[in-house]
Amino acid sequence: MNPPIRLYMSMSLDGFIAGPDDREGQELGRDGGRVFNWLDDQMSDGPNGQVFRELMATGAVISGRRTFELAGRWQGDHHDGVPIFVLTHRIDDGDVPPGSAQFVTDVEDCAEQARAAAGDRAVMVHGAGVAQALLRAGLLDEMEIHLVPVLLGGGRRLFDSLGPDHIELELVRRLEGPGVMHLRYRVRGTR
Amino acid sequence: MGRLVLYMSMSLDGFIAGPRDNKDNPFGTKGHRLHQWLGDGGEGVSGFRPSDEASRAVFDELMSTGAVITGRRTGDFVGYWGGDHHDGVPIFVPTHQAPASTPPGDVRFVTDGIESCVEQAKAAAGDRDVMLHGAYTARECLRARLLDMLEIQLVPVLFGQGRRLFDGLGAGHIELEPVRTLESPSALHLRYEVQCA
Repeated sequence: MNPPIRLYMSMSLDGFIAGPDDREGQELGRDGGRVFNWLDDQMSDGPNGQVFRELMATGAVISGRRTFELAGRWQGDHHDGVPIFVLTHRIDDGDVPPGSAQFVTDVEDCAEQARAAAGDRAVMVHGAGVAQALLRAGLLDEMEIHLVPVLLGGGRRLFDSLGPDHIELELVRRLEGPGVMHLRYRVRGTR
Repeated sequence: MGRLVLYMSMSLDGFIAGPRDNKDNPFGTKGHRLHQWLGDGGEGVSGFRPSDEASRAVFDELMSTGAVITGRRTGDFVGYWGGDHHDGVPIFVPTHQAPASTPPGDVRFVTDGIESCVEQAKAAAGDRDVMLHGAYTARECLRARLLDMLEIQLVPVLFGQGRRLFDGLGAGHIELEPVRTLESPSALHLRYEVQCA
């Protein structure tokens, strides 16, 4: 089996990945930093450290345009200089992203290039918009959801416009770290 | 005194029913998917008792609650379970106006607020927990800080559309403490205690 294209996202129990009004200068939305508290424990020997190390061992990154911009384009390097493929609707003339990042406008092309670049390692996906685009296209293999025990009450949702077909999942791993439950799902397809 | 516990089956993307839910189709389009963790039905409520151990434990807890609170919408959809959800325990329904005709069984409409409704249900349940079912009423209870626990059956599916459990909850985080997780092939049973602010 090929190494998977895997989404990594922190989400509150009510489905939010950022607080309300996320924008430049307030990237995580109002009080949205709450869902990332578990990352304080990213260096531990426990589950939180394990999941973080797995994430950092991926061989390529697929990001949405919005996430990419809010993250300051990661100064062109998300981790270890692995290639970053940024799915976008529009590429402005002369806008060349820094470092190992590049823009891609087609979702299939994006997945294919990332898979090839990652070789025998997994591809990390980050961003709600791009996750939904990959899911709709049937190109996402797995999701590692960091489920945070809080109700944010509002903000930006991870799953917002997926369309009418059910997408069946299978829970393949569950790790419980301090302050977070890491749920790994395999995407089984639509029905 | 028992606790007020919300029991709801939810897809990973937060839906508790498919789109176009109505009285003739209370789960909405393809919404029955969320209830496959239950048994197939059959002779009375016991037919819904799941076959796997984890789901059965949760089902048995639900069925041993001493009172039920359900929203008016949910209640109307399911005809108040014919007036008997399980063991004839009283069913409390917070509403602005009680209906003209009283449904059968022990269904009590409470018109003087959600707080009073919870108080009455807890009194009726005695030492046992109170089961809460319904998204709107769940949010009312959460906002009023009346909910003690959530028991969510997290179903491994993305619905894409339908009715959400947590919608328009409003500002302010509500911290939860995970107190138990039971895994079954059909659902992940997540039990949280609501932390007081």
